[in-house]
Amino acid sequence: MVHAAEVLSHVAALAQAADPPQASSVSTNLARAQTAFSLAFHICFAVFGVGMPWLLLFVEGRWVRTRDPVWLALTRKWSRAFAVMFAVGAVSGTALSFEFGLLWPAFMARYGGVLGLSFTLEGFAFFAEAIFIGMYLYGWKRLSARAHWLTLWPIAIAGTFSTLFIITANAWMNTPGHVTEVDGKVVSAEPFAPFLAATAPHQLIHMLLAALMCTGGIVAGVYAVGMLRGRRDAYHQRGLRVGLAVLLVCAPLQLIVGDWAARVVGNEQPIKLAAMEGLGHTRTHAPLTIGGIYDEQTGEVRHGIEVPDLLSLMQGLSADHEITGLTAVPPEERPNAVLVHSAFNVMVGLGMALIALSLVTGVVVLRRRRRGERPLLPTGRPWLWAAAASGPASMLAMLAGWEVTEGGRQPWIVYGRMRVDEAVTSSSGMPAIFTGTILLYLGLATALILILRRMATGGPELAATVGETSTTPDIPDARPAPASPDTPARVRGDGDGGDGPGTSAPTTPRTDPSSSEGDAR
Amino acid sequence: MTAADLLAVVMVIGLTAYALTGGADFGGGVWDLLARGRDAADQRRLVSAALGPVWEANHVWLIFVIVMMFSGFPAAFGIVGSTLEIPLICALAGIVLRGAAYVYRAYGAGAAGPDHWWGHVFAISSAITPVALGVCGAALATGDVTEGDALAPVTSAFGIVCGVFTLAVTAFLAAVYLCRDAASSPETEHLVPGFRRRALGGAVVSGLLAAALLPLLWSEAPVVAERFAERSVPFVVISALGGIASLVALWQHRFTAARITAGAAVAGVLWGWAAAQYPDLVVGRATVDSAAAPEANIVAMLIAVACGLVVLIPSLWMLFRLFANPEVKS
Ligand code: HDD
Ligand code: HEM
Ligand code: HEM
Repeated sequence: MVHAAEVLSHVAALAQAADPPQASSVSTNLARAQTAFSLAFHICFAVFGVGMPWLLLFVEGRWVRTRDPVWLALTRKWSRAFAVMFAVGAVSGTALSFEFGLLWPAFMARYGGVLGLSFTLEGFAFFAEAIFIGMYLYGWKRLSARAHWLTLWPIAIAGTFSTLFIITANAWMNTPGHVTEVDGKVVSAEPFAPFLAATAPHQLIHMLLAALMCTGGIVAGVYAVGMLRGRRDAYHQRGLRVGLAVLLVCAPLQLIVGDWAARVVGNEQPIKLAAMEGLGHTRTHAPLTIGGIYDEQTGEVRHGIEVPDLLSLMQGLSADHEITGLTAVPPEERPNAVLVHSAFNVMVGLGMALIALSLVTGVVVLRRRRRGERPLLPTGRPWLWAAAASGPASMLAMLAGWEVTEGGRQPWIVYGRMRVDEAVTSSSGMPAIFTGTILLYLGLATALILILRRMATGGPELAATVGETSTTPDIPDARPAPASPDTPARVRGDGDGGDGPGTSAPTTPRTDPSSSEGDAR
Repeated sequence: MTAADLLAVVMVIGLTAYALTGGADFGGGVWDLLARGRDAADQRRLVSAALGPVWEANHVWLIFVIVMMFSGFPAAFGIVGSTLEIPLICALAGIVLRGAAYVYRAYGAGAAGPDHWWGHVFAISSAITPVALGVCGAALATGDVTEGDALAPVTSAFGIVCGVFTLAVTAFLAAVYLCRDAASSPETEHLVPGFRRRALGGAVVSGLLAAALLPLLWSEAPVVAERFAERSVPFVVISALGGIASLVALWQHRFTAARITAGAAVAGVLWGWAAAQYPDLVVGRATVDSAAAPEANIVAMLIAVACGLVVLIPSLWMLFRLFANPEVKS
């Protein structure tokens, strides 16, 4: 706060220094910005495609077993939100695969084949996911409750596998190996090269945990906000509990995997590690620097907290371990350490905060259980505020993590093999394309937020109705005879896209899945 | 046949699947746009109901083809990416807007603007994408692509007619499919005559455009035209017979048969073009051989495709069986 202005002007100056104005650099920067923007946009939805099916498996599984309508209400609500986010994830993902060709033609032309197996398998994973999502979202009335629940398994597994496949592609860009090139042309590549990348295992596990944390955190956050507004029914409590449990279990694991990641990065991409830690000069007894701004002139971090020797200890288990500094490579081969160090701090800081929340909650839950108090989860206002913040915090940590991985690789698009400016398009249309993309995405995002907000406020009436319906909601177990697919329940319509495409539903705008169950009887 | 050839065949199969499923979805958007008369709302509802469960899956075929292209023939993808910018971006914008608008309409309940606005976005973007993809196809055949001239593909007469032809074909397919969907339930039976008329009209328009394309093919894409005359006659015959049979089947209200014949007509066109295009991917710039990734990678992809299909085909079959008859809410 004290030095905010100074820091800002400093950042601006450094950013300028990092981008010398060359003829092609405008195009490169716009292409980079567009890639970063569309990837960030995509990943914010993709994490729900990975995490949500696992949460749904749990809540719908509880419903199938207990027939408790609160579980059904949660399932219905989440599946509708999931439907919208999956669709946006799918279209933004399609946009990415076009953009690779449009923005990075030289990269694709040279390495497309290397990444072929990853992307092909990923294509199949998407395909399986999309097929079963069709069955899941539109099959409420055509499948038995159990069969409906079963369709979640392929969705969850395929989502997880698509992460596996896409991450191997990214990991290969970080640590490219098993490929032979002559004069800039790939002459032979082991088909499994991406799967053998040194960074693939930790990137994959780290990302899967991140996806679960983001999903859990956002779900918890939505219900925490509801409870802060006074809706403290079973529906909100359970929603909060499920989301928070996922988040808080994954948070400590994320630290372990993150530490592993940092060690691998130290070995494989020493310059990235230096940028993450803001280490200018190669040295032993390297300190761990928390916070602060990296200063390119001095190669030091200003305003940070230094823990002596710790970095050397963490990386090599000895204070004498030598850590490579940024100045080991010429300036044009250094990533933007201001950005990368800050992003790394944001990720680790938020990760630590979530771990702290996780520990404190764990202690409180155990104590309450011993004393036989209910509910187990503390529900005081500060707790709810913390839960509400945990979703955005996870998302921010996830995005910061990507900035570390991608920004720390700069100026390489494929580490040590191809530079970003060699890969970029030479199109003169970049400014127009970039502006159009941003406007399009912002428009879509705004509309989506409006829709999700409306969905999120559908809770209270729903919970009330659900509380009163003590019998099992009727979702016919058998497929209707083909000749008359329309039962009265459907004719009445519940405006619930989950049962079929919502046409401009003439029913209540505040859709309420459980009310149709009431109507149907 | 080399591994690269086989991969090219797989790509054409993927493209055919995309045309027959995703293509018809675009056509559905066209009929949403053109819905007229007293039961316009019912027509839109039928379109929407027919799309619902399958559109996500249908559009993955396109991703499949793109992935095959950039992994199997990376050099060709590089050329396409840097020369067909304008049509590709139009196709992309159409795909993004269409998918988003569809779910926003289905689930938005008016929270982000009236549903019918999203309906219009959905319909218009559905019409843009096939035109843009048709333009891309034409450019691959003419080889009329230069890095400096982004406008070339969209200003060529052949390209534009190809684009319009693609649009007409998707609309034709969609109308044929919708006839059967409408006929399958008493609640939607009243929509049958309208869609039947549209299907017949679509068939005639597509046929006329195809006839207009032939002379343009000879003047604009002589390389492909020559091979077309040599190799593609069987496919053209299939396509023409399919078209005529569709007219007959529609006339006789045999809608299931019409689906099959219409599919054959469309597939015939695609395969005829693909056969004439071979071995060029982008005429004059990249061939199957010159653009191919290293052999080992292509073989690995082919194995992956084979394994993937083992999972995919039963799943797709289940999906289409489960939703054979769309449910329409009135
Ligand atoms: C967390 C893992 C993850 C990562 C790192 C990425 N994606 Fe993604 N992607 C998914 C996780 C995912 C997903 C969860 O599987 C999605 C989200 C919604 C969906 O449709 O599947 C998806 C959808 C999706 C689709 C649409 C599939 C469909 O129609 O169903 C495409 C084409 C891509 N992605 C492509 C990419 C590319 C080219 C990426 C590389 C930069 C990428 N994704 C990063
Ligand atoms: C297989 C997966 C991925 C591939 C092939 C990939 C590819 C790329 C490419 C081509 C660029 C532009 C060149 C560059 O600036 O380095 C880039 C940059 C970037 N990507 Fe990735 N990416 C992948 C995954 C992701 C994901 C999922 C995210 C999450 C949001 C992400 C975040 C970023 C960011 C923030 C940048 C900009 C970095 C900077 O310029 O400072 N990447 N990536
Ligand atoms: C708690 C301490 C954490 C540490 C020590 C840590 C460490 C790291 C390191 C070293 C990387 C770079 C990996 C590479 O470039 O190969 C990374 C990347 C990343 N981090 Fe973290 N991280 C932590 C917490 C988190 C949290 C809480 C999240 C999100 C919820 C997160 C999400 C990510 C993501 C998405 C990436 C990029 C993709 C990947 O490598 O999988 N991290 N992290």
